This record gives sequence, structure tokens and C-alpha cells, in this order.
Amino acid sequence: MKLTPCPYEKEMRRLMARGQWPDACPAELRAHVSGCRTCGDLVLVSEAFQQERTEALAEARPVAPAVLLWRAQLRRRNAAVERISLPLLGAEIFACAVTLVAALGFAGFEARNGVAWFTWSYWHEWFVQLPQAAAAQWESLGFGALAGSGWSWMVLVPAVATLVLLGGVAVYFATDKP
Amino acid sequence: MATHMSREFALPDALLQSSPGGAQDAAAGAGVCDPAMENEAFSGFYERSARPLWAYLARSSADPALADDLMQESYVRFLCAEGAPALATDGEAAARLYLFRIATNLLRDYWRRPRTASIEETPEEFFAAHGDTAQSDAQILLEPALRQMKPRERQMLWLAHAEGYSHREIAKVMGLSAASIRLLLFRARRKIATHLRARAADDGRKS
Repeated sequence: MKLTPCPYEKEMRRLMARGQWPDACPAELRAHVSGCRTCGDLVLVSEAFQQERTEALAEARPVAPAVLLWRAQLRRRNAAVERISLPLLGAEIFACAVTLVAALGFAGFEARNGVAWFTWSYWHEWFVQLPQAAAAQWESLGFGALAGSGWSWMVLVPAVATLVLLGGVAVYFATDKP
Repeated sequence: MATHMSREFALPDALLQSSPGGAQDAAAGAGVCDPAMENEAFSGFYERSARPLWAYLARSSADPALADDLMQESYVRFLCAEGAPALATDGEAAARLYLFRIATNLLRDYWRRPRTASIEETPEEFFAAHGDTAQSDAQILLEPALRQMKPRERQMLWLAHAEGYSHREIAKVMGLSAASIRLLLFRARRKIATHLRARAADDGRKS
């Protein structure tokens, strides 16, 4: 399709925008429109769309502006909260990494200094002695005396502390995420 | 009312201060420092622009329920946008163009999205609107013709002939060049005029 501009098109647009078509426009322009395809299309389409627009405006049921302001406020707040929580996530990852490095370093240090953590006999002995130590511990608790059972306390207290710590971390990770 | 609203919608100071590009920046970008004034200016702008925007969305998409959703989303995005024109300094015309551009992009995104909605998810208003037999003369004439047009053509025609936007303004809204709009609009107008004339001739023969 070839674009064939009409010199009267602009004038026609102006007259239609001002509502001067067809009553308040020169007779020669009306005669031109009846013979010009471009201007004829313009008038036909513009009149149909203007009528449709009037009806569509009456159909619209816009919500109260306060609702939109509130939704926008919520969205801005969520975006701000997300921006704030991003460094916190970075700090959590950093803390985990530091803890892991420290744990590995400690284990390496212990291994190098002769603690037999990595040998089977060490752990076997530990597991065999643990129930005996625990039983002894209960006995000593029953008599109200704690003295003399230092080894079992040294095992139990860190074990309970570790459990509490890991439990806390697990609860934190389970509840912190939105 | 405005004072009450501003208090109701106030953000915590900590959030405002620690959110670059957040509400505080948006308010500053809009050239309004007082939230009450911002609300008041927005309410006035909304009163004047909501119906034309809805009409544009409803007639371009042929789905009033979708137009409701997209209109609200357009305003929310307009309020949250950092680069939105300020009502006080840039003027309402620029803000309106920006709003129409957001709506146009939302419509485009909607059309690009794959259709997965089932019949259960379709709102009842959709059927009510389509089953309504009490159509006006303009709808009877224009709706079938609009259905023959491509979505982009419907948008362009509405902006040009219902909203009265110039080629340059339509280009801004649709993200195309003004020269392209001139050619595309000419073709679309000729196409819909042919449909309208054919429809009118059919009706004339029937009666």
C-alpha cells in the first residue's frame, strides 16, 4: 500500500479536534472530503472512535485512588525491605564461610599436633567408654556429687551445647525466609 | 482527608532513608516533597486520566476485566517508577503519555505470555460482558472491525483517533519512530475504514 498524503489532512484533524466538523467548516473542504479517500477514511474512523470512546468512558469503573496509593506504598516498602535484607544475606554467607574455614583449620591443626581423631581406634574407644561414663555420671548425680567425673562432663556439656547451637541455627534458617 | 491519607500511607523513616530509589526518591523525582500534596495531585490526575486509560485498555484488549487489572497495575507502576514525569514540573500531558506507555507495555507483555488460563479461572464478568446483547450502535459497527485488526493496530488507532495523539506522541507511547507510526497508522486506518464501509454496506443491504 502506497502512502498518499493529502494536503488537507492536517486541517481536517484540527477541525475535528475542535469539534468544528462538519457544521463549522468551509463548504469546499466538505466537497474535498467527499472525493478524497484519505480524508474520507480519516472522518469515518475518527467519528467511529470518538463515539466509541464516549461510551467506553461511561463504562469505566475506576477504583478509589487511595487503593492504588496504598498498593504502590506496599510495593515500595517491599522493594526497600528487599534492598535492606540483601546485605544481611551476604553477612550470613560470610559468617558461614568463616565458621567453616575456622573448623577446618582447627581440625587440621589438631591432626598435625598428634591427636588421633582420624584413626579408627580413637573413635572406637570413645564410643565404648561413653556409655560407661554416662552411667557413672547418672550414679554420681543420684548421690548429689559431681566431683570426680570431669571427663564425662567434658563430653556431655559440649555435646548439649552443640545440639542447642545447631538447633538454634536450624530454627533460624527455617523461620527467617519469607 | 489528604492529611489522614498521608499519615496512613507514611513509610517508616528508617526504610525511607535506607532505600536509594525508594519512596523518598520517587517523591523527589515527582517534584513533590509533601506526601499529602503528592496524594492530592495524584488523586486529581487519576480522576482525569483513569477513564480514558481504561477505555484504551478495554477496547485494545476487548476484555474489560483485563482492562481493570492492567489499569491498576499501570498506576501502581507509575507511582513506583523513579523516572516518571513529575506532575508539578513536567505537566499532566507528559505524565499521561508515560502512563499510556506503561499500559501499552503491560498489554504487550500480556499478549506475549503463553495462554494457560483454564475456563475455571476466567472471571464471570468476561462472560457477562460478551453475552450482553444490548450493544450500542458504535459498538455494533466498530467492534467487528476492531476484531479484524492486529493488537498493535488497535492501539495505534485508538491513540490517534480516540485520544487525539499526534504521531510523535503515539511514537513515544509505543516505543517506535514517528515515521513508522505515520506509515503504520495510514495502513491501519485504511484497513479499518474498509471494514467499516463493508459493514455499513452489509447493514444497508439487510435493512
